[in-house]
Amino acid sequence: MIYSRLLTASVGAAFITSCAAAFVAPYDETTDRLLTDLSVKTETAIARADAGKLSEEDRAKFYDEALGTVRTMNRRSSLFAKNEDEIKAVTQLEQRFVDLREHGSSPRSSLATGLRATILAVQQIQLAKKRTSVFSAGLKKSG
Amino acid sequence: MTEINIQKLTQDIIAAATGAAKGHAADLKQYVEAHARIIADGTKQIVSDRIQNKITDDDLRFAFDQIKESEATSLLAIEVTLKAAAQDAINAAISVAEAAINKAVGIALL
Repeated sequence: MIYSRLLTASVGAAFITSCAAAFVAPYDETTDRLLTDLSVKTETAIARADAGKLSEEDRAKFYDEALGTVRTMNRRSSLFAKNEDEIKAVTQLEQRFVDLREHGSSPRSSLATGLRATILAVQQIQLAKKRTSVFSAGLKKSG
Repeated sequence: MTEINIQKLTQDIIAAATGAAKGHAADLKQYVEAHARIIADGTKQIVSDRIQNKITDDDLRFAFDQIKESEATSLLAIEVTLKAAAQDAINAAISVAEAAINKAVGIALL
């Protein structure tokens, strides 16, 4: 069980730590919104590519906009302390878009599986940070 | 000033820390399942597209390399989730200990 192992660590650490623990950066709504927008645009481009309806011009525009969004996310992530994992993940997301563009083919479902998995991983990071922010706010309120 | 019941305090800390980590554990399970579905669907699509000549052998190798590359990001997602769970569990435990001290001394000292 994941939480039973975490529990053992936490109980021990609770007695040697005198202030609130912070291992991850706070949740950032703007980064999450940019990611959601990127995910929608990516799925739309994949659906159009699968249907043979994504022209070369549309493809180029999609990659340009996607890279602009990912780079904006990366710069925003770098503003927060304890955010190294997210910065690495967003940098890897940028690389997936660059690789697809440089491969020169349409972003079909088959070719975009790695990209989809990478977007899902960055979404999971946002979810974990959001849950922690909500939990911390609850502790502060009850404390 | 009152004595602290160590047995009750331990139980309260365990309950608080376990409760705090539970939500992250459920999220992690959901994430691993969603990730597995993406890889399975993608693998099926790669084979289907290759059989129908919609992609080349080079495309197939590229697609599989991209899946392998994406696993590094998946590992980061799991690491962040575990760190967040540990953070919540530790802070929940500290909060319970703080409340016990304040109650024992009769004022909000911490």
